[in-house]
Amino acid sequence: MKKLAISLYAAVTVALLIWGFYQAIYVAPADDRLGGQGELYRIIFYHVPSAMIAFLFFAISLAGSIGYLSFRRSRDAWAQISDAWALAGAEVGVVFCTVVLITGPLWGRRAWGIWWTWDARLTTTLVLWLIYVSYLLLRRFAAGPQVQTLAAVLGIFGALDVPIVYMSNRWWRMQHPAPVFGGDADSGFKDPRMLHAFAWNILAWLAWGLLILVVRYYVERQSQKAAAQEVQDVLNA
Amino acid sequence: MKKLAIGLLFALPIALLGWACSLIFFAPSEPPIDWMRRMSVADHDALVAHLDHLYLVAAYAVTWAIQLGYLAWLGLRSDITRNSAS
Repeated sequence: MKKLAISLYAAVTVALLIWGFYQAIYVAPADDRLGGQGELYRIIFYHVPSAMIAFLFFAISLAGSIGYLSFRRSRDAWAQISDAWALAGAEVGVVFCTVVLITGPLWGRRAWGIWWTWDARLTTTLVLWLIYVSYLLLRRFAAGPQVQTLAAVLGIFGALDVPIVYMSNRWWRMQHPAPVFGGDADSGFKDPRMLHAFAWNILAWLAWGLLILVVRYYVERQSQKAAAQEVQDVLNA
Repeated sequence: MKKLAIGLLFALPIALLGWACSLIFFAPSEPPIDWMRRMSVADHDALVAHLDHLYLVAAYAVTWAIQLGYLAWLGLRSDITRNSAS
């Protein structure tokens, strides 16, 4: 029953991704306004949803990290579950953040004529990515009983960069365009078909992200159980 | 069968990444600053549209390469964890 539900969810996710792609490429019109970006703007349908989902998963990692620090002395099982969510959120968040940091320069190269600039939005996003990569490296290479605690603290500090990234192109107007939503009067999509394509792609990538997040969580739980079993075996020997 | 699926999942992102890199590295040169002296407006617009298309395809291909590459790594990791547990 569980396998059927997962297969069904995966099938719906793939259908959503195909539908989102179709909307982005064939339904949303080109940006043919004077000074518009023609076909190039379609990168937004992958770039912005990836950024939004990365923020969401870093928030999950933050919640998991806080949970771990709260429960580590009182409820070990809850602490391990929280830790698994923290790790899964950070890792899948890094995957989406990597997409943002690669599709962004590809877009910038054509739109601005440069691959990279030390703009506030770009720099804060790179710092966010580096913090969470260091979190993953800490989890991978450090050893000892304090690793989970150190990682949880790093995860909480890393998440503090998320609101700074979000607000950066509101606080400091530099090279990066104004926010799509909640920006100045000129921001936002000019055609409802663009907005529909954008919404479908957010939904599709969110479904995909949740799928890999849950898979990553279960892999980590299996790994935790295997490690606990190993310790038990050593103690019993 | 499972190993073949994971192998294919690894091969696909590598192929996508290679394709995206080839699109960018072998893309035609950008129109020069003084393009008005060298080409017509129609030729210029066609070149810009072609370059935009190449970068758009590369961005989509890289996105899929990263996501499928991570899925493949996750499949491999799940397999290893399950084998070591049993």
